[in-house]
Parts: sequence; structure tokens; C-alpha cells
Amino acid sequence: MFKTINLISIVIFCSGITFSQVKLDVNTIPTKVDVHLDGVNIGSSPIRNERISPGLHRFEIKKKGYAPLSYDLLVNPAQAVELDFFLNPIYECKFKTDEKGLVFELNGEHRWDVDLVRLRLEAGDHLLRVFKIGEIIDEQIINVDQPKKYNYFLKKPLSAGN
Amino acid sequence: MYLIFFSNLVFAFDQEATYLVLNHFDESLPNIDQSLIDNFNNASFNFDESVNLLFDDIDSDNNPASKYMDQIKELGTIHHVNYILLNKIKHIDNRIIMEGLLFNTRSGGLVHRRKINVKNYNNGSVNEISLWVGEIRNKIQKQWEKARESIMFQNPEEISYDKTPMGAALRSLAIPGWGQAYSGNSLSAGLWAALELSLSVAFISSYTNYDTSAKSYLQNLKLYNATDDEKEVSAYRASAEKDWDDHVMYSKLAIALAGSTITGWVSNSVHAWVFGPRPYTNIYQKGLPQTAVPKG
Repeated sequence: MFKTINLISIVIFCSGITFSQVKLDVNTIPTKVDVHLDGVNIGSSPIRNERISPGLHRFEIKKKGYAPLSYDLLVNPAQAVELDFFLNPIYECKFKTDEKGLVFELNGEHRWDVDLVRLRLEAGDHLLRVFKIGEIIDEQIINVDQPKKYNYFLKKPLSAGN
Repeated sequence: MYLIFFSNLVFAFDQEATYLVLNHFDESLPNIDQSLIDNFNNASFNFDESVNLLFDDIDSDNNPASKYMDQIKELGTIHHVNYILLNKIKHIDNRIIMEGLLFNTRSGGLVHRRKINVKNYNNGSVNEISLWVGEIRNKIQKQWEKARESIMFQNPEEISYDKTPMGAALRSLAIPGWGQAYSGNSLSAGLWAALELSLSVAFISSYTNYDTSAKSYLQNLKLYNATDDEKEVSAYRASAEKDWDDHVMYSKLAIALAGSTITGWVSNSVHAWVFGPRPYTNIYQKGLPQTAVPKG
């Protein structure tokens, strides 16, 4: 009798844990990406009918050729959560200039002053700044939509005016 | 501060379930209503803008699934619907955050939640809402899934180009200069074609001379062996020796020219690959935006 009550208690306790969890579906573009939830690999996308407990969680998604994605989510006790992650590809690009004495800066992070540089850029818009003798001379957004070479040219003064 | 674009619409998806759809967008989304009407043509719509402060920041609530139970039930009673579907879109920098929440008006609880957080996807909002509603309805159209994938940036391995360096190399391997012409470099194409043509003509000429000398040598040798006349013997001997020397010289020349032709042919193909068509963008100095130009 005591064992039966114990067993029922355990079943109720486990059911409580199960039912307090939230159904989780994860989709990614591209598919077949390893999805890590709080540091644990929960499988390859698309993920269906996974369970997640209410509270704060961290998703980490990595695939070769794409920018890694990390996402914090506060899961509320809803019946289901569906997450769609769109990974942004990284393109192999070259940046070339024949102009002399220029320093380039991309997104306020990367700087270079050589004629030709290879860059691994995430698809999308990037802020390019150009400096000459310590002063900024150009600022513009460049759109990276495929692996390619960027040739930079300074605006030349009109020869007719000289 | 966000511009809250808010609209409510009620539509009956089928006889069993009816939905009140609330769209909370920080930027107006043209044609979203028409898009839903077109995509779910058995729906009837009712617009209402009376609950615009509801569900403002659901993540900050301890128990959002049940927090709005009374309001959800009340809305369900007012609009005579089974479910309330909330679509939220926020833009932060170049990132778009879309959220979908589905509430059951009988219990008042949150039953389904969906979140999208993505960069560079401004043209995909209408399609995403169609996908979300279609998923709830279990009626997702393939074209919506394809549209979603077409908006995203492509996998570099799946990007195809009309012209490629390999295409140029293969063309130049078939006909010298063709790959350069295919890449749009006419001068280079002409130079390679002329060089290879000259080498080929020189090789053919040398080989022909070698062949003629060899045959002439054999002929003179035959005549030399067939005669006893002293003068003829001397003449045939001299001719045969000259033919032999010529045959050796043209043989060496033909071998050298053949090597040069083949080396040039392969080099021309490699050149076509190195300078083959590759995508590029020219960036010209634009200067500084007005706000960034230092005054004084």
C-alpha cells in the first residue's frame, strides 16, 4: 500500500514536471544546423516537440559558412514556443585599392592600410570609413550580397577646372 | 519611440474556429490586410482599434500566459471568437523582431508563441505573417516557404554565376583566346590567339620540312645504293647528307615548337582562369554625411 502511494506520488511528480514544460519547435534556414540549448546539443534542425522549462534560456546555433547565432529567450509558461532562426552566410571577399595613404575601417572594428585585403564578411550592410592623414574623408554603407571583390576609388577633381 | 501601427481584424477561418487578429507593428506594413484576405479567402474581417495598449511587453510579466485571461475572455465575448492572434513587429537597428502569440478565448491563456529575430529581412514581413497564420491553420503554401528562402542571402556554395573563371579556362583550352574573349578582354584574346597560331604554324612548317627531308634522305639513299656512276654516287651522297642534317635540324625545331605550343596553350588557359570573370563592385568616394562634417 505504502509502495503504491509512493509510486503514484512519483508519477504525479513526474507528470507535474512534464506538464510544466513548454513544447518547443525550432526551425532554421538553412536546415540541418546543430542547435544548442543552454550548452546542450538538442539535435539538428528542424527540431520538433522538444520540451523546454519556463525561464531564461540561451540558444546557440552554429554552422560552417554562416555567422554563429546566440539568442537569449525568456520562456513563459505557454503551451508551445516556435523559434525560427535565419542564419546569415559569411562571404569571402577582397577589398582592393590603388589609392595611396588610405586607412580603411569596417564597422568600427577592423582597420587596414594595405592595397589588398581578404575579408570574411557577414551578408548584409556594413559601415565603411576611410581615413587619410588621420582625418575621415569618406563614410558609406556597403552591401555584401555575394563573395566578390570591392575596388575602392577616391573622387578625382575635375581636370577641366584646373 | 515606436510608431504603433495597430489594427484589429476578425475572421472566421472555418466553421469551428474564429480568430481576432491584432497587429502591433512599429512601422506600417502596407497590404497586410489585403494579403490576409487574399491568402485566406474564406475569412470575414472586422476591424477594431480599442485594445491598443494590451500585450505591450509580455516578456516583462512573470506569468504572461495567464496575465491577460480576463481581457482575452472579454475580447472573445465581444468579438465572438475562439482565438486571439497577436502579431508584433519591432525594428531595432537593421534587425527585425517578429512575434506571434495565440490566445484561447475560452480559457484566456496563451497557447502558442512564435518569435523571429533576423537581420536584413524587411521585405519578408508580410510573407512571414502569412506563414504564421498558415501554420496555425495548417495550410502553408509552398510559395510562402520559397519566398522566405528567396529573401534570405544565399549560401555561397549555391550561388551560380553566368560566367566563371573555370568556364573561361575551359574555353581557352579548347581555342586559345576564347576564354579571354568570353571574359571581355579582346586585346588579350587577340594576343593569345595570334601567339598560339604563330607557334602552331611554325610547328607544322617545321614538321613538314622534317618529313620532306626524311623522305628525301631515304630517296637519295636508295638512289645512292642503286648506282655505280661515280658522279651520281657523289651527288646522291651529298644530297643524302644535306637531307640528314636538315631532318635532324627540323626534328629538333619541331620538338621545341611543339613544346612551346603546348606550354603556351596551357598558359593561355591558366591566364584565362586567373583573369577570368569574377564578381566585383567599384566603390567610389561619397564623402561625409552632412551631420558628420565638422563645422568651422
